Amino acid sequence: MAGDPAHAQVLVQDNLDLKTASPVLFVGVVLIAIGIWTAAFYVLVSGGSLLVILGIYMLHKIVEHGFGLSSGSPYGKYGGVRSVISAASEIPLFVSIAVIAVYTRSLDLSAIMQYQQVHGPLLIIAFPAACAMFLVILSKMPFGPFSIVEAKELVSGYKTEHFGIWRAGLEICNGLKTYVLLAVFLGVFIGQLSLPWLLLGMILMIVLLAFACALTPMMSPFDSVTLQMLVTGLMIIYAAAVLLVVHP
Amino acid sequence: MIDLVGGVPLYVLEFGDELVYFTPYTITLFLLALTFTILVLISRPEKQVDIAFGGDAYRTKEISVSEMRFRRFMAIACGLATMGAMVTGDIFNFTLFTAMVGITNVGIVAAVKSPHVQDAAYQYGLVSLSATIPLFGGAAVYAATTGSLSMIELMKGTVPAVPLIAKGMLMLGVIGEGMAPFYAAKAEMFRAPGAPYVIMCSLSSLLIFLRVVEIVMLG
Repeated sequence: MAGDPAHAQVLVQDNLDLKTASPVLFVGVVLIAIGIWTAAFYVLVSGGSLLVILGIYMLHKIVEHGFGLSSGSPYGKYGGVRSVISAASEIPLFVSIAVIAVYTRSLDLSAIMQYQQVHGPLLIIAFPAACAMFLVILSKMPFGPFSIVEAKELVSGYKTEHFGIWRAGLEICNGLKTYVLLAVFLGVFIGQLSLPWLLLGMILMIVLLAFACALTPMMSPFDSVTLQMLVTGLMIIYAAAVLLVVHP
Repeated sequence: MIDLVGGVPLYVLEFGDELVYFTPYTITLFLLALTFTILVLISRPEKQVDIAFGGDAYRTKEISVSEMRFRRFMAIACGLATMGAMVTGDIFNFTLFTAMVGITNVGIVAAVKSPHVQDAAYQYGLVSLSATIPLFGGAAVYAATTGSLSMIELMKGTVPAVPLIAKGMLMLGVIGEGMAPFYAAKAEMFRAPGAPYVIMCSLSSLLIFLRVVEIVMLG
């Protein structure tokens, strides 16, 4: 019966009854996923270092890899392997941080927001960096053009074998991740916003991302990585130009 | 120069010339390395399932305990080296830990008794070996131009500016040593047994990359 502790125990037992999985990792990686994004949320609200948040973003790749590998399923494994290969999408992110650091001379979220109060939004000053960050957020959206880690030919990719409460834990992590990334984008490229404006901005971002996902086909893994590498190349040229102009 | 890249140092532990320091950034990375090392220590490995291409058949593989035992040892050594690289405040120590990460990553993949996997490990070994030249060369240029290998001194800005070539060499060395995920992914394509040992390849490579981003922003 639902709500009965014995029933809950049976549910947990059923979800762990995987013949090929590494059980501790299978469960542990869900907790790690929630843990790292809770930490990122804390850094966001306390105005901490942008480098910590983006470091956590990159560590999410390892979480995806862990999800995929822990089950022993070939579908999960290929999802995890694609996650490692698509690490190329993370490099534009670091270039955009470098551009922000060149302008604001700080990586503290609070300092970046203060800079924008004086000089105006970085969305205008460093528009290509905002595009690169947007691309990175887009690559984390489900069913987007870069969502090769959970492509249909892999069933659900790295999350194929995580179902029931473990899938619920994963989705909590994904919700938290989306909130943090959108709030960071708005904070870094628009500046300090009151809660209603922040929520409105996040809704607009979600609509934009949803349309981008709906109107573009999912690319093949190699096309996805090639396109991201091209963007990386352009971003490196842009960052070098900014460095030469702002601090000759 | 950008101050306090990884946040305000919360604790500095000095061993003579050597030092270890914790900032919010290095603590985050250190805790992740520690968590995954513990997972490697206590987890039983996954059991492999292969798909037979062209049909609906599945088959499981038998993997020897001795092979798994060696890979676990290498994964734990890799975790320890990664933890060292995350908290060290000395550039030369960082390069040593990074080189050790490269060696252990080769070990994690090379222990698999499959010709395809060992090909991938061999190729990665060559890349890793070559990468030690810019890695240690970068640290040498740091020492030669600034007179210090201390990250705290670089952070204070009391030493001459670090030339771009030193930062580039250090970054190139770390990229070479941290190439493992691409080779591990290649090996996994040939169905090397994965969790939780192969994850340590990806984790360590990513963490040393994240740390070197902080290091090149100092000084």
